[in-house]
Amino acid sequence: MATEQATGGSPRRTARWLDDRTRLGPVLAAMLHVRIPMTARTFYFGGIALFLFGIQVVTGTLLALYYKPTPEAAYESVQFITSDVSFGWLIRSLHHWAANLMILFVVLHLLRVFFQAAYKFPREVTWVVGCGLLLLTLGFGFTGYLLPWDQRAYWATVVGTEIAGGVPVIGDSLLLLLRGGSDVSGATMSRFFGIHVLVLPLALGGLLAAHLVLVHQLGLANPKKPEPRVRTAEADDEPLRPFFPHYILDEVVAWYVLLAVLVVLASLYPAGLEEPANILDAGHPKPEWYYLAVYEMLKFLPKDIGILAPIVGLGVVIVWPFLDRSPEVLARRRKVVVGGATLIVLALVFLTWRGYVA
Amino acid sequence: MAATPAHRLLRLSATALVAAGLWFGLAVTASAEDPSAAPGASASASASASASAVGSVVASPGASPSAEPLVSAPPVPSPIAHPPAGDTNGCFDCHSAVNDKQAEISAAWETSVHAAADVGCADCHGGDPRSDQITVGMSTEAGFLGSPDRTQTVGVCGSCHANVEVMRPYNLPTDQYVKYWSSVHGQRLAIANDTRVAVCTDCHGSHDVRKTSDPNAKVFPLNVPELCAGCHADAKRMEPYGIPTDQFEIYSGSVHGKALLEEQDVRAPSCASCHGSHDAKPPRATEVVEVCGKCHTATQELYEQSRHAQLEQAAPKCWTCHGTHDVSPPGSRLFFHPETPDYECSTCHDLANRTLRLEIDRFANEADRRCDTCHHPDSQIYAQVQGIADALGGAEGAYAAAGLRIEDAARLGMITADAEVGLAQARTSLIQAQAAVHTTKLKLVSDLSTDARIKADEAQAMAIAKVDESTFRRQAMIVVLALIALSVVFLVVIKRQLDRELEGR
Amino acid sequence: MEPAPVPAADATVTRHSRRRFLRWLGGLTVVSTIAMVTTPILGFLVPAKSGRTAAGGKTLVGTTADIPPGGGKVVAMGSTPAIVVNTEQGLRAYSAICTHLGCVVAWNDLIGAIQCPCHDGRFNPASGAVISGPPPAPLPPLNVSVEGDQIFLSEA
Repeated sequence: MATEQATGGSPRRTARWLDDRTRLGPVLAAMLHVRIPMTARTFYFGGIALFLFGIQVVTGTLLALYYKPTPEAAYESVQFITSDVSFGWLIRSLHHWAANLMILFVVLHLLRVFFQAAYKFPREVTWVVGCGLLLLTLGFGFTGYLLPWDQRAYWATVVGTEIAGGVPVIGDSLLLLLRGGSDVSGATMSRFFGIHVLVLPLALGGLLAAHLVLVHQLGLANPKKPEPRVRTAEADDEPLRPFFPHYILDEVVAWYVLLAVLVVLASLYPAGLEEPANILDAGHPKPEWYYLAVYEMLKFLPKDIGILAPIVGLGVVIVWPFLDRSPEVLARRRKVVVGGATLIVLALVFLTWRGYVA
Repeated sequence: MAATPAHRLLRLSATALVAAGLWFGLAVTASAEDPSAAPGASASASASASASAVGSVVASPGASPSAEPLVSAPPVPSPIAHPPAGDTNGCFDCHSAVNDKQAEISAAWETSVHAAADVGCADCHGGDPRSDQITVGMSTEAGFLGSPDRTQTVGVCGSCHANVEVMRPYNLPTDQYVKYWSSVHGQRLAIANDTRVAVCTDCHGSHDVRKTSDPNAKVFPLNVPELCAGCHADAKRMEPYGIPTDQFEIYSGSVHGKALLEEQDVRAPSCASCHGSHDAKPPRATEVVEVCGKCHTATQELYEQSRHAQLEQAAPKCWTCHGTHDVSPPGSRLFFHPETPDYECSTCHDLANRTLRLEIDRFANEADRRCDTCHHPDSQIYAQVQGIADALGGAEGAYAAAGLRIEDAARLGMITADAEVGLAQARTSLIQAQAAVHTTKLKLVSDLSTDARIKADEAQAMAIAKVDESTFRRQAMIVVLALIALSVVFLVVIKRQLDRELEGR
Repeated sequence: MEPAPVPAADATVTRHSRRRFLRWLGGLTVVSTIAMVTTPILGFLVPAKSGRTAAGGKTLVGTTADIPPGGGKVVAMGSTPAIVVNTEQGLRAYSAICTHLGCVVAWNDLIGAIQCPCHDGRFNPASGAVISGPPPAPLPPLNVSVEGDQIFLSEA
């Protein structure tokens, strides 16, 4: 691609040599073609989330080489990684910050798609799969948070599983299932570790592949006009932007910027470690920031409603493309939806902020 | 029956008058080496003539005698006899209904530890608890006594509480009776028939007696200072005795008072911890080391090794440097006055027989509890004190510096667990060095200080390495950012080239 | 390749040097990116420089010969001090950090108890409970296991 331009013929020769022996050229060409209308503005949120997932896979794999998932050893091993292994602090801090940023960018991606009405025909399935990816990402955050087994990790998990235990009817069973016992213990840690490094990566990998295939097949949405139900010549005449190399190049620049942000965060605010978990001293009964809105809401609402509201809310978000059937995509023609969503987002930001300063 | 103890007391106090005069003389002499007595000593001296005239033998209760109490405890009276109540309680049935005051008394008794142990009205008041007729139950024929007066109270309580057989099931001590009569309170009651002194009911209550472990009891450890202050902080009440009334206020500001009253640490000493409770009396100069050493065991052991401890009469004791009610956290300020004080030979020497002496009055003011109050700047010992102060100062400085460095490293997000362990080791040596000052041994203090300093320096070196590591990371970050910036520039240039091509098409 | 707006001799030279610069920049991008990614990864894979080959889990702190019956010893468990005592009830181990002011406790043979040298806080060797003195809480226990004659400690 870029280097090819600069270095001239030799890579091109290599490519031809390879293609002669693999015949993958047409497959590659098909893969590198995605319909991107000139008017599409993605802000690269989805691509950035993908990049962060890549970072998580690499750093997570590295951390697993030293980490020991038992309550007796976890804390010490994390301390060992952070202070004894060379670049251990960097790998761990990258994993820590990329996790937070990944959740942020998945949410931003969702909001972008929502406000641009890109979930409408024919991308309803892409949206549902994307919501699945959001849930898995939150699951990653929840299970990974316990693993250092320090005070913050332990008590955030106690509170978090407690909230899950408040779900009507199935709450008690859910709590038992999550904790692997009545308390947060070694059993909890084993299952959180297993879920974090086996179940979720496989699930997320599968859903991600589905998501990307769908994006590839459907192309990006035009935020200016609805997708016609029937393909017309006029629609095919729409001015397009080449996915490769133009769009990809922008994406890579965004990744580099994100890498810079990660390096700054990891260097200036390295992932810390509090005192080892102490089941007798509830020091930090506060969940991670992305659960704070729900946590805060529980202070205002009756327990059942406070727990059911986010679940119902998520359900509505998942099936939203099937509820909102108007073909309109421009914000000024869907004032109620855009206004309502803006209010909800502001309320969630406010709740998160309140929970943060409390 | 009730008259017996009172008669006995009168007789005892009468026979004691002569001996008490002698005792008072001793008390004034003893006050010279007894700081608790110091403020009251002059007052008692001036009031001595009138005091002995009215039979107020111990003008200053604070001026504790150095001899054993002259009056021993009267014999324990036998318990008040009355017919057994059985399941009935005629007293309670009427008194709980007769009026508000009586109802209150009945209710107080009902919640008391006595009610729980089946100790009823008649056990203290006599009479016949079976009857619900006032003319029967409260008749003198039935042995009704009314309220025991203050001179009788101790005997009434003691009739059961000094009885080993009666107290066994409750696992309660039985020596309070004897102890009480040995206290300043008991002695004044015995000798001068002074009924203003504290008797059992003043601290324990009468009808509403509660266990010491009951937080609502006036004698619960956290409540003791206020209980004592109830009388002892009352200037009018203490006026006849010429003793200070500011102890509670002073104590409240001390390390002990703060630990007990503010931090609610029941292990912290209250008045009773040093003065005794039933046997309340100010500790004497000969006792103070044991009294403080009861809790400060390690310090006492170190002090016993010191030159100070060998000085007998002239020995500086705990209170010489730390005070009594106003004990404050120790520190390097205790070594020297900011400016050299005035010395006279008589400050430390008895000129008549050329021996050392220690005037406790000179240490009444916190600012004067310093080594150089006695040790002259030209003396050899002063140089030794300086050596101790310097060694300790060096170690304390190194420890503080290491602590600050570790904080720096932690603020930079570094993990400082190993440096903190190093600091804990330094702290162990430092606290030992500080405590070793009580031995007055320069070598011991300086060895421990050196040890503390080395360990603190090691911890500091660890912290500095972490700060350096953080600085290195930040520098590396800038290099990486520069490389990323170059890459971005390259990609942007390429992209603009591509865009131009696209427009060209 | 590049749209050449003004074909001139100067432009050819500029274009040439510009191309060389771009090629250099491209090489730098590739090399620096590879270096940035591989350096931490390779560094991370190299076994840690400190003596600890692994942390957490069981730590070897000595042999049973070091601690005769009725004896005790302060040992290093990773970077933190621990105390191992040989009691009638068997080997016991506790954190050696005093719960009063954080001094390092020691074994006192004379009294047969764990003692803090700072303020004479004493702890029961069989349970870690406070016997006397100012410590507000018992010493936190650690797990002891003996393999052959080697004593291992781990977090309880």
